[in-house]
Amino acid sequence: MAHEPMDLLKGTLDVLVLRTLAWGPMHGYAVTRWIRERTGDALQIEDAPLYKALHRLEQAGCVTAEWGLSENNRRARFYRLTPAGRKQLKAEESAWRRYATAVFAVLEPA
Amino acid sequence: MTRHVFQFPWRSRIDIRRDVDEELRFHLESREQELMAGGSSAEAARTLALREFGDVDDARACLQHIDDTIETTRRRRDYMNDLIQDLKYSVRALRATPTFTIVAVLTLALGIGANTAVFSVVHGVLQQPLPFPHPEQLVKIWSVNPTAGMLKGQVSPIDLDDWRAQRSRMADMGGWYFTDGGTGMDVTGLGEPQRVSTAFVMPGFFSTLQATPLVGRLPREDEMVRGGPDKVVVLSYGYWQRNFGGADSIVGKTLTLNGGPFRVLGVMRRDFAFPSPRTEMFVPYSTFPDRAVPHIRPVRTADVVARMKPGTTIDQVRAELAVITKNLAAQYPDDAAWTGATVVPLHEAMTGSVQTALLVLLAAVTFVLLMACVNVASLQLARATAREREIAIRVSIGATAGRIIRQLITESLVLALAGGIAGCAVALVGTRTLIALSAGQLPRVEEIHVDVVVMLFVLGVSLVSGLVFGLAPALRASSVDIQGMLRASSRSSTSTGGRLRNALVIAQLAFAVVLAVGAGLMTRSFRELLNVDPGFKPDHLLAVNFSINTTRHGDTAWQNYYNNVIQRVRLVPGVVAAGAAQYAPFRGMGERNPFVPVSYEVKAGEEVPAFPTQRISDGYFATIGTRVLSGREFLPADRAGTPTVVIVNEAYARKFFPGQDPVGKQLRSFDAVPITIVGMVGNIRQSDVSVPSEPLVYVNNMQNGRVKVTLVSRTRDNPLTMANSIRDAIWSVDRDQPITSIFTFDDIMNETLAKPRLMTVLFGAFGTIGLVLGAIGIYGVLAFLVTQRRREIGLRIALGATERGVMMLVVRRALSLAASGVTIGIVIALVLSRFVGALLYGVTPTDPSTYLAVIAALAAVAGLASFIPARRAAGVSPLVAMRQE
Repeated sequence: MAHEPMDLLKGTLDVLVLRTLAWGPMHGYAVTRWIRERTGDALQIEDAPLYKALHRLEQAGCVTAEWGLSENNRRARFYRLTPAGRKQLKAEESAWRRYATAVFAVLEPA
Repeated sequence: MTRHVFQFPWRSRIDIRRDVDEELRFHLESREQELMAGGSSAEAARTLALREFGDVDDARACLQHIDDTIETTRRRRDYMNDLIQDLKYSVRALRATPTFTIVAVLTLALGIGANTAVFSVVHGVLQQPLPFPHPEQLVKIWSVNPTAGMLKGQVSPIDLDDWRAQRSRMADMGGWYFTDGGTGMDVTGLGEPQRVSTAFVMPGFFSTLQATPLVGRLPREDEMVRGGPDKVVVLSYGYWQRNFGGADSIVGKTLTLNGGPFRVLGVMRRDFAFPSPRTEMFVPYSTFPDRAVPHIRPVRTADVVARMKPGTTIDQVRAELAVITKNLAAQYPDDAAWTGATVVPLHEAMTGSVQTALLVLLAAVTFVLLMACVNVASLQLARATAREREIAIRVSIGATAGRIIRQLITESLVLALAGGIAGCAVALVGTRTLIALSAGQLPRVEEIHVDVVVMLFVLGVSLVSGLVFGLAPALRASSVDIQGMLRASSRSSTSTGGRLRNALVIAQLAFAVVLAVGAGLMTRSFRELLNVDPGFKPDHLLAVNFSINTTRHGDTAWQNYYNNVIQRVRLVPGVVAAGAAQYAPFRGMGERNPFVPVSYEVKAGEEVPAFPTQRISDGYFATIGTRVLSGREFLPADRAGTPTVVIVNEAYARKFFPGQDPVGKQLRSFDAVPITIVGMVGNIRQSDVSVPSEPLVYVNNMQNGRVKVTLVSRTRDNPLTMANSIRDAIWSVDRDQPITSIFTFDDIMNETLAKPRLMTVLFGAFGTIGLVLGAIGIYGVLAFLVTQRRREIGLRIALGATERGVMMLVVRRALSLAASGVTIGIVIALVLSRFVGALLYGVTPTDPSTYLAVIAALAAVAGLASFIPARRAAGVSPLVAMRQE
């Protein structure tokens, strides 16, 4: 999945969500918490786009969703990375690293 | 892959909405609780959670949309997966029972193929409208002579002119003079002299049919009357293509026909195959020279077609013609006996002769289809019953009824598809075979195409029957008591199935009887035909057809030319004998002339009876191998100038001189001069092998000649190898003598027998298919019966029943089924038999020996079919039977 510049944000969210789920299955709230804690104030990400990303990834077959019980015994929708999702994550990760390296190569004084 | 095992329930739109709501609510409430746990007030927590989340409504709508899409895709994929799974399973299941599959597919193929082929032919010949505008308005008209019992007589062209002038109910009418292989013109000046099949057309011919030319124009009325500029010709599309390469420039050119110049006016369209597809030219009838066919009322040569005015009924036309003909009969003595007219729709007139045969064929093939459907149905039924356990197992491990039914439907469809594809092949080959077999037997062959609609229809019928019968037991199976099934004591649940199966087999046997009776009758009739004594010896005969041009050879001298040609051919090495007749045997009766004993008294109002007259040469009977029963045949000494003598056939002698020798008796004809009978010969079948000879009079062609000649040579070796030398012998007398045709009598015999042979072959095939399907039906039921009653059989054996006794148990069952089927079948056959009467020769439709043979055949088939199951029953071990408990 090649990155188009316009999709930068979307693609960024996807890779963040995938990376988060790589730790194991979790419900949507947990995913948003986890990303929020990691990024802090650096990226002001609202929860809505993250949910959209989760469902979009489900549609793409990168994650599956299943109803289960949360830590405090409430019905919650749990997302789990599929093998396809894991592969996708790997591809996106390396693409991001190449991107970052390229940008740094320009920014670093020669 | 996992989905095949764990079928997630599909989510409805409402489910999705609820799920999304719940997921969002869970998120917001979890966040609020977390914030409140951190010390926020409820109010502040809610506000913050909402702000962190963003646009909740937009997110909700968006998530719902994505989930809807996911669900739709999933459903589609599940459906495809199930379908593929069903297909795979079907193919596996069908391959697991190869006998069933092969028999079912073959049955379907035969049913579909045979039906499509026959329906295509029938549709092409009988149902396609004639290729003329408003064909329903066209009628064919014949003259009627009630005293002579002639209901479909040719029409006098002079009468036709009068009809045409006096008509008011008919928009137009016209006539033509054409006989296939008979009427023609000699074309010279275009390479080898050619005899070209010609229709001599009368005013109104083209305009009645509303035919239009492809190139050029058609003759005007004034170009079709005696004395007008009538030396014109219109070419058929085929003749134009073959001889002039389809060049438009032919219009206006002049052709030499019968030695005179004729101007080409135009070319007909390709689909104009009237009066016959073999008509190559259209020439005005008015050009026919008087000395060939006198232009007088008693010469009745014309076929007539008329177009009714719109809104006019055929009865009104009949009424009008009745009046016109009655008036003409009163007005002209020549017409006195011709007091009426027969009017028949043109389509019926063109197809009438084959209609019965085709409709009978259609009925027979419908029986084949019925049998095929019943066969597939009973096969499905037996199979489904046998699979009740398998289905029960599938139900017990969670398959739903719907899923199983879908699987069975898929299986039926796969089967039908295979049968359909095979059936298409059978249909293509069958249609082609039918057309080839019926060469020259069917009118309008050019209209025949494999009918896709028919094929789809037949496929649909067999498919539906397969589905219905495959599904009925499936429905039952999927709802029965699973426990009972698994205990393998499923006997109780199949009693209704058993009865249905019996009924199907009985129906099948009844159909088989009907088909076998048809096949038997056709075969007997055909054998009778083969045994007919045609009155001559057809082997080693070669016939050459030609017409003598009196313009070239002189009005009287042509008879010498005729004689010279015969003499010359007799000298050809390898020719044993040669003679000539106007019409060869099987090729037509010849014109009718009044020939009666001098003592014959004509009653008031009666016309002198007329009999077919053949013009022959000396030595003709010796050549074709007909016995001279009394007196002699013509000699070279009988020629112009000597007293006219005639020869009569046995039928004539029996009619007028019963019990006496006709030789020496005297006849009279048009004038009072007595004519002596010098010989009597055996009857020769002139018109058709199936038509007994009429009384017939032979006239010496040297005394009273006709220019149409069929020169017959008896050859020592294969007659076909002699064709060239005989033709060269004729050309050695006149290099420009056009030859119309050359044929052997073996060919003619084959041709005459083609239609009965076709019917025999087809009915034989249908009858065989019927018996085979019947045997399969019986076998299926019995095999099933034995399997079902193993325990009972085992018990009987354990109690001391003999092997023979057990086998008889099965055979008796077969025979009782056969008896019911045969009884019903015979009744149906007897009811239907009167329809085939017209197709039979020398055998009655209720011929007892045929029926008895069919009964015997059915009994034998039933016995054979029960043999294997009976052996299997006898082999049942009492121990195995006990163990099943």
